[in-house]
Amino acid sequence: MGTTVTHAPAMEDLPKGKGSEPRHGPVGSPRPAALKRRRRRENLAGYLFMSPWIAGFLLLTAGPMIASLYFAFTDYNLFDAPQWIGLDNFSEMFGDPRWRHSVQVTLWYVAVGTPLKLLAALGVALLLAQSRRGQAFYRAAFYAPSLIGASVSVAIVWKAIFSDDAVVDRTQKIFGIDVGGWTGDPDMIIYSLVALTVWQFGAPMVIFLAGLKQVPRELYEAAEVDGAGKMRRFWNITLPMISPVLFFNVLLETIHSFQIFSSAYIVGGGAGSNACGPADGSMVYTCYLYVQGFENSRMGLASAMAWLLLIAVALVTAVLFWSQKRWVHYEEGAR
Amino acid sequence: MVNGRNVERRTVLKAAGATAATLGLAATTGCGGDGGASADGTVTIRYAWWGAEDRAQRINKTIALFEKKYPKIKVKTDFQPYLDFWKKFNTQASGGNPPDVFQNAIGFLRKYDAKNVLLDLSEQAKAGNLRMEGFRAGLEKFGEIDGKLLGVPVGSNSMALVIDKPVYTRAGVKPEQGWTWDDFEAGMKKIRDKTGRAGDSGMYGTMYLYDLYLRQNGKAFFTEDGLGFTEADLTDWWTKARKGVEEGIYSDPKKVAQIKPKSALAAELAGSEFTWDNFTVRYTSEGKSEYGLAPIPTTDGKKTGQYLGSLMLSASKRTQHPKEVAQFIDFMVHDPEVAKIMGYDRGVPATQAQFDAYKPTDPVNQAIAAYEQSIVKAGVLEPITPHPNGADICESAFLRIAEEMGLGKRSVDEAVKQFFTESKTALGA
Repeated sequence: MGTTVTHAPAMEDLPKGKGSEPRHGPVGSPRPAALKRRRRRENLAGYLFMSPWIAGFLLLTAGPMIASLYFAFTDYNLFDAPQWIGLDNFSEMFGDPRWRHSVQVTLWYVAVGTPLKLLAALGVALLLAQSRRGQAFYRAAFYAPSLIGASVSVAIVWKAIFSDDAVVDRTQKIFGIDVGGWTGDPDMIIYSLVALTVWQFGAPMVIFLAGLKQVPRELYEAAEVDGAGKMRRFWNITLPMISPVLFFNVLLETIHSFQIFSSAYIVGGGAGSNACGPADGSMVYTCYLYVQGFENSRMGLASAMAWLLLIAVALVTAVLFWSQKRWVHYEEGAR
Repeated sequence: MVNGRNVERRTVLKAAGATAATLGLAATTGCGGDGGASADGTVTIRYAWWGAEDRAQRINKTIALFEKKYPKIKVKTDFQPYLDFWKKFNTQASGGNPPDVFQNAIGFLRKYDAKNVLLDLSEQAKAGNLRMEGFRAGLEKFGEIDGKLLGVPVGSNSMALVIDKPVYTRAGVKPEQGWTWDDFEAGMKKIRDKTGRAGDSGMYGTMYLYDLYLRQNGKAFFTEDGLGFTEADLTDWWTKARKGVEEGIYSDPKKVAQIKPKSALAAELAGSEFTWDNFTVRYTSEGKSEYGLAPIPTTDGKKTGQYLGSLMLSASKRTQHPKEVAQFIDFMVHDPEVAKIMGYDRGVPATQAQFDAYKPTDPVNQAIAAYEQSIVKAGVLEPITPHPNGADICESAFLRIAEEMGLGKRSVDEAVKQFFTESKTALGA
């Protein structure tokens, strides 16, 4: 790459001395027709390159979304044509105790799992932010679980660890706690899911690490001169300085937590008499959505549930954005 | 990137090529369902069933046999565990691409008939591609609904009480044909007192057993289009269950949930368990003890309410090869060699020819054969109760809610109410 702008040859054709003229304005151009033709050709190339993505978006994202929005107001069992029933799906949901239970389980999971995960991420990031030997290894090692975290295999391993007579159960027994495995216990299974998500703190940890590196050293030095202790420095310098990163992580992890599915479905599957844990112990929202859609063949209801989840997540996101005024500190002008 | 103009032209061409390639690829993958016959007249049919690895090996052997006899028909198979099977089937069927022939059960017949998925096989039977004679104990009527032949039974089984033999012997409990529920309860108590083990694993969630109990009392779980019992009936049944759990004659539900998917009987949490007789095979491979079969307790000392249940083969209405599918089903239910390979894996063979062809040599399968013969001899078999559209959802709700009740997550009244609410939705849909 030289200093010339080779990737935008059109630039050179722009009339000199008319800097305020917008690039795309043909007015005043010496060769408008040629320019137009070239630009059109460029656009065409651009669209052609984009076409697989555009086709994919229309076919695989936009289309299904519109269809699902329509199904949300219908009774649709996959086989017969959808029947318009207005808001009946939504009113059925609110009257369904199992649905309310799934909302409770999900909210609990989000409220407990997300902060714990972020705490773990921040704690380890603080430890790893200091330079020491083998740092790269530790970072990779802590990050690894979240790389493989979304996979089904990890959930299967998790189930194997927490089920009856497995590692956790046997360890408990050594200490005289004989309550059986966690996955088979309707009250405990959700804790095993929380443990799973906390264990996968690698992704927010990496982001925290990047944030910690950005905090100017001088601030610490100045604080130290003024006699601020470790805790003080953390509360008054580190935390405010990384608050934009913290905000980003809170946002992302909250949204993620709301969408928990595969781990709940797999860890809970086969434990007890249904897909989502014994006595619906790990019946998170998406799990119930799946049960309604694929086990009970009620795609209309499942679509309505999906849209409600979308709205709920959007609301939570909005609240978080609104709250950032109070606790997120951006550097002057960086906003 | 030296000359902008050249790059541009090449880019356009390449992009165009790439797009065309993508579209072409999409076009070829788009027509995944291979329905048509190939040039030499060979036809491929898709056969889907639920089960595990062991059944897969047996089924592959029978298909090899079939393809040898019908060289013009190729069979492609696909299998999943029970629950996953129906999820995949639903998706395929709604997308217009169901398997040509598939394993089926009574609880699904009306459901998929209402959804226009099942082929009426009576046409093929009339055309002589599918023989409907030679079935045992009237089984040929099993897949007939509203005058349509929607499934052909491959095997039959019946509800039974599978017992841990040494435990029963130690407790001195001897179940006999015609024993009553009071005898049963006394037996459970004896087992608890003498062996320290719960007598039963928690029968209150087994829909097919509750059906028998209702039938003994002149009712049934299902009618043509709904439930054949009242909230009071179920409250009664589940109140007894709760009491049994508290008294320790039924296993601790928490323990039972813990060890799933292993069965409570094989895990030595209970002395016996009500289930289908052919499941004895499974217990034997799972557990360490010796398992046997005992008769269903009765209310009046005679009537057990029993009927033969069965796995079936059904065909898709959308199949392009109804004749070949019929030939395939015919082969699978009549050919004696098939019975020798399958054994009692899907129940006792449905046709007399297959029943005669397979004589079990191991004690477990011998016990199943003896049990089936004994109930035929006792004359307790009756016609099956109807399974309306939505029966499958009712069954899983029954099991789930009973478990929640057993675990103490719901009171009996709440559980009953919840079951009736869910069933109404399922049966009304």
